[in-house]
Amino acid sequence: MTKLASLRSALCGATALAAFTLPTVAQEISILSGYPEMTPFYERVAESMKGDYPNLTVNVEPITLREHERRVALGLSSGLEGASVIELSTSTAGRYVQAGLMPAAPADISEFVSDPANFGQFFVDAASYDDTVYGVPLFRGQGALFYNTRMFAEAGLEGAPKTMDEYTDYAEKLTQRDENGNPVVSGWSLRLSGGSQGIAEKWWLILFNHGGTLIDEVSPGKWRAGYANEAGVKALGQYLDNIYDKKTVTIEMPSDAEAFEREQTAMFIRESWVIGDIAAKAPDLEYATAPLPVGSIALPVNLYVAGDGSTEDMQAAWDFAKAANEPENLVWLLENVGWLPNRTGVDFSSVTDEIEAFSAFVDYPEDYTFFTVPSIAVIEDLQTRLAAKLTEAFANPAMQGDDAAIMAFLESAAEETNAILKREGLLAE
Amino acid sequence: MLRRRRFRFAILALLPTFAIFAWVRMGPIVQTMNLSVRDWDLIGTNRPFIGLANFVELFGDSLFLTALVNTAIIAFGVMLLTIPTAMVLAGLIHYRTRSRFAGFYETSVFIPHVVSLVPAAMAWKWIFDAKLGPLNALIVSLGGSPQSWLFDPNLALFSIIVLCSWQALGYAVLIYLVGFRNLPTSVYEAARLDGASGIQAFRFLSIPLLKPITLYVSVVTLVSGFNVYAQAFVLASDSQGAPGRQVRVLVLDMLENAFRNYRVGYAAAEAMVLLLIVLILTGAQFALLREKGNSK
Repeated sequence: MTKLASLRSALCGATALAAFTLPTVAQEISILSGYPEMTPFYERVAESMKGDYPNLTVNVEPITLREHERRVALGLSSGLEGASVIELSTSTAGRYVQAGLMPAAPADISEFVSDPANFGQFFVDAASYDDTVYGVPLFRGQGALFYNTRMFAEAGLEGAPKTMDEYTDYAEKLTQRDENGNPVVSGWSLRLSGGSQGIAEKWWLILFNHGGTLIDEVSPGKWRAGYANEAGVKALGQYLDNIYDKKTVTIEMPSDAEAFEREQTAMFIRESWVIGDIAAKAPDLEYATAPLPVGSIALPVNLYVAGDGSTEDMQAAWDFAKAANEPENLVWLLENVGWLPNRTGVDFSSVTDEIEAFSAFVDYPEDYTFFTVPSIAVIEDLQTRLAAKLTEAFANPAMQGDDAAIMAFLESAAEETNAILKREGLLAE
Repeated sequence: MLRRRRFRFAILALLPTFAIFAWVRMGPIVQTMNLSVRDWDLIGTNRPFIGLANFVELFGDSLFLTALVNTAIIAFGVMLLTIPTAMVLAGLIHYRTRSRFAGFYETSVFIPHVVSLVPAAMAWKWIFDAKLGPLNALIVSLGGSPQSWLFDPNLALFSIIVLCSWQALGYAVLIYLVGFRNLPTSVYEAARLDGASGIQAFRFLSIPLLKPITLYVSVVTLVSGFNVYAQAFVLASDSQGAPGRQVRVLVLDMLENAFRNYRVGYAAAEAMVLLLIVLILTGAQFALLREKGNSK
């Protein structure tokens, strides 16, 4: 045996020995989430992957949504380290996909997403761009009415309001007042303050149920403000009537899920995550849910993968997104967190039968319609600016009952919306 | 020859510091200046030069103008509240230096400056709460009517000024205390012999003698006032419908434009406007106080 042959044999032997004795190379992925309540879900998914990935470390990094959006904007534009699973709504992710900052899904994932047995076309489209799959659908934000059944019974009301006019009537009957007539428990909690964009989004939902929309796609890719009309007048008029005429709510009153859980409001419109929140914070609350009169927002949230991780880590990240859609994980998500999974063909009856509050989110009328936030770059800018104007309108009692003043306000706001669309070359002529 | 060598050595010794300063301090400013005349969406590689278009648009932008006015009110409000209060408090603490509680006085005034901002702002949010806050409870118990501290546009601004001043006070008092301790005692002894009261000595000796300190503290307070963000964010513009009127300030507007609206060039133009304002105000303060100092 020559020296070279001996050396070669020794090397082969050492390599084989190392393969058997050294531990498998450790893998690491990060989960960037904008919904802190999703943390236990992702930890559960990570745990469920231990069989296939015994050496995989999953770092779940949740922060509040706005901070998450900033983190993603900075991370993707400057380059993310390692392999990251990024949770993003379709409207936010669109710009990154179009800019080539998100890789397309590998073939196996693309096949999984495109399979009609797994996801409806709406969700496939939401996770795709130019017929290529970039994300894995996970859950959606969908609104419904939450109402306190004890307060409804005390006010002599049976069931939820069925028309937008009834919403105001019910709110008036449900409002509890002190000896001076000032509301102490609001009849209907409306989004009147706080983070700016949400104000416009919540108003959009009311507007939609009056027959309007924030922006209308007049021709493919071309948009125009859709609220300076009768529906807009009704939607804004309803806010102002509730604040200044019926006095069912004030800007200072506690609002949102927290107020509902503390019985400081009788009803409000929110997404399904509130069910999980109530179960955790106010399990004895007597409440029910109901679909809205016309329809609701459906905001799909997908899991994307990005970063400069190794091929193995990137594959693990994609497998994580797929594992999140395993039926047992989705049932757990619905039951414990409350966000609505997007996957079809999964039997959620064990949860929906037990927790009746989900019925409004899954059993809605046949003619119930949905809208979503369009995936255009300026949508946040539009909503932020409209929200700033709406805040001023909500604080202006002079507009209450004056349809002409409301219309003038809406026309002025729509002018700004159209100017932004024009700036970006998106305005329909 | 030796002098030349020394000069060269001095330059070489200073060069690394200059280089770090240029890289860390001047580099970002130049880069921001460059971005302010471009249209960049943060994620694209294309950054076309658009001249002063961002600046022209800024001055027709109602949100920017609101933010500018709000920020200016907050910055000047904090300065006007902090400087006299800090000077009086420092004077009182200095006067009580020999007291065994002197350390306690200093510490209690300085603590707000080192307390983490977010929990402090949350505590103040509760204090200002229209329904549950102790401030309104106190006002009602004294026969007044409760106020919407965080909803009324003017009161929301006032609330932020109070919070910022509460935080800035500790640092200002500390600097003033150093100033008081370095004042010549002979001048005060002479004033006392001439029959000046404590208040007169404070009015006619301390205030003029502390002018350099006042200049420094007012510049620092004003500049940090123009950079207000977290206080406004936590106190009056929380997410998810938290009650509170959004008080739009420049830094918040910049962050929204850069990272939510993806208009980095536009946000950079805002940053340049902020820089210009701070530079002008700082220059004016220096000129004003130096001029008056020289005329004495």
